[in-house]
Amino acid sequence: MKKWLSMSIALMLIIGVLAACSSGGSEKSSSKGKDEVVFWAPFSGPDGPNMKQIVDEFNKSQDKHFVKLQIVPQTDYYKTVDLSLNGKKDSPELLIMHGDQIITYANKGVIKSIDDIIGDTVKKENYHENAWKGTEVDGKLYGVPLDIHPLMFYWNKTLFKEAGLDPEKPPTNREEFIDMAQKLTDKDKQQWGFVVPTLWPQQFIFPTIVYQNGGELISDGKVDYTSPEVVDALTFLRDLIDKYNVSPADVQQDGEMNMFLQGKNAMHFNGPWMMNQFDESKLDYGVSPVPRLGTKQDAVFANSHNFVIPESVKDEKKIEAITDFLNYVGENGMAWAESGQAPASKAVYESDEFGKMKQQPQVAKQFDYAQYSPSVENWGPISDPLYKAVNEVLLGQKEAEKALEEAEKESQAQLK
Amino acid sequence: MNSKKSAFTSFLFVLPYLVMFILFLVVPIIYGVYISFHEWNLISSDRPFIGLKNYMNILNSDTTLHKTFMRGLWNTVQFVVYSVPLLVVIGLGLALLVNHLPAKIRVFFRTAYFIPYAISVSIIAVLWLWILDTNSGLLNQYLMKWGMDPIPWLTKLPFAWISIVAATIWWTIGFNMIIFINALNEVPEELYEAADIDGAGSWKQFLHITLPSIRPVMLFVLITSTIASFNIYGQPYLMTRGGPGDSTEVLLMGIVKEAFELRQMGAASAMAVMMSLIMIVISVAQFFFLNKKGKGMEA
Repeated sequence: MKKWLSMSIALMLIIGVLAACSSGGSEKSSSKGKDEVVFWAPFSGPDGPNMKQIVDEFNKSQDKHFVKLQIVPQTDYYKTVDLSLNGKKDSPELLIMHGDQIITYANKGVIKSIDDIIGDTVKKENYHENAWKGTEVDGKLYGVPLDIHPLMFYWNKTLFKEAGLDPEKPPTNREEFIDMAQKLTDKDKQQWGFVVPTLWPQQFIFPTIVYQNGGELISDGKVDYTSPEVVDALTFLRDLIDKYNVSPADVQQDGEMNMFLQGKNAMHFNGPWMMNQFDESKLDYGVSPVPRLGTKQDAVFANSHNFVIPESVKDEKKIEAITDFLNYVGENGMAWAESGQAPASKAVYESDEFGKMKQQPQVAKQFDYAQYSPSVENWGPISDPLYKAVNEVLLGQKEAEKALEEAEKESQAQLK
Repeated sequence: MNSKKSAFTSFLFVLPYLVMFILFLVVPIIYGVYISFHEWNLISSDRPFIGLKNYMNILNSDTTLHKTFMRGLWNTVQFVVYSVPLLVVIGLGLALLVNHLPAKIRVFFRTAYFIPYAISVSIIAVLWLWILDTNSGLLNQYLMKWGMDPIPWLTKLPFAWISIVAATIWWTIGFNMIIFINALNEVPEELYEAADIDGAGSWKQFLHITLPSIRPVMLFVLITSTIASFNIYGQPYLMTRGGPGDSTEVLLMGIVKEAFELRQMGAASAMAVMMSLIMIVISVAQFFFLNKKGKGMEA
């Protein structure tokens, strides 16, 4: 018995060690005599090879600089970044940062303002104007944009056809959305027009509707979840379940996405990063900008990927290597578009090749009116009470106004 | 001379463990306590010593930290209370069942029950999500086929707790079972033979021979299960995301959020130290209570 136990434990240990070995140290360096730049990115998903391709091509295109790409697993990315920036050893000299994280790092003075760096090689006018907004803190720019990733709208064309709807005409506003959702719902077949998620990606959907209503989640430095614009957004989502009956109740984490993949959910919101998974599922799906579910204006919640430089990087040669590389990415970023994302560089998103793609031009269509998360430090944890309220209301366990009022107090207490 | 040599050899064997123990347990614990006395922001190099302020904040009912801690603690304690008795009782029950199987298939069942323990929690969670999905899960599909209403396994109380406890038991029960099987095998056969002759039935044998004989192991399983249950994190994090609302948001989720989302290592360490103290108190209490009771019964 004991022998059996120790054998199995030994086996597990060996497997663990082997797994650890195989994941490290494949990066070969050929940087002799060149200015090396260590570049970190969280692209551990299917988008990793796309970034690697750009880096490899850059390294081949010239012989002055060498960029060394290190992919850090997405889930541990900011932990790893924090620890390395703080230890100052093996720290990156260039890294990818999400737009909503920039303010925290900028306020702590650990990333550089890039105002002095742009102009000569990396030019502001080569990128979409709105992309720069995502990197701005107190009037200074802290990052060079890679992409903007707004919420997208996906629909199942097969179900549209079956319901007698034109599969090439997605809804564009709230009325059409409700009308189509009702036509697409067939409870006997366990088929729903729009399954309302109760958790992620509400962090993208909910603010989209609030912004479309012309509302804000933080106004004048105060948390504001009780304005009519915010309450309406939540009531509307709840009504889809209760009043319009186009969604089942009690949807769990990823429930709506699984049903979309199974062909039981006709319409779905998610980020452009889902493209690969939808393609693999062999669904006949369409993708477009999000319809205007709010009542006032076109808007969509977005986050972004940006290149930032740690404050500790001072060497002129390194800076030159970095700017050369960033300029190269701007001009040759088509590989990044192939991952499903829309690069913010005009050279890419205005090109013919880009325009012929399926999803990516739809993403770029939303650049003009994309809005980001409120510009405060730690928006993620501060907004947790809000998404708990959204969760409870959509699960039918609390009233919208009361839940939002409580959440407002909790978030306000955390906003220093 | 000889004994000295053998003592040295023994020491060499213990050494690797000792080094690992100091490096990966003692040092981090001391470092953690040290961090908890500072305002320690991960990305700021200025880390002033603030004494017991982090601990005071946790105890001060006006702070967000206090709310996070108490909410997490309450949810964790709920989970411990629901899961530990089941982990002990079902572990023992399975051990008895498996032990009574014919030798040939015993090994198969023992392995089958132990395998889930070797799988990572993320896979366990995915598996149970497929089974428990409200609208497209395996379980509810069957319920609906039989004309019943679907049950919101992960989005309503008490089902969310039931699901988390069930997944935990399925995942970890093999470990307790193996420990119990070992203990059962150590019970001297003669005792049962003697009891047979005296005409004691199997229930009486279980009550008066098996249970008293395995009491030390029982205590061990109880304490390790309590500690393991206190450390719950992966199952609610992956299966319910702490929901509905925050009703399954356990203490470790709060600590991880404080440490790596808010980057407040000082406050997070203080929370972790408090959590350890609570666990130590509970374990010691369990030990004394059961040991005393045991001695009383033997006398």
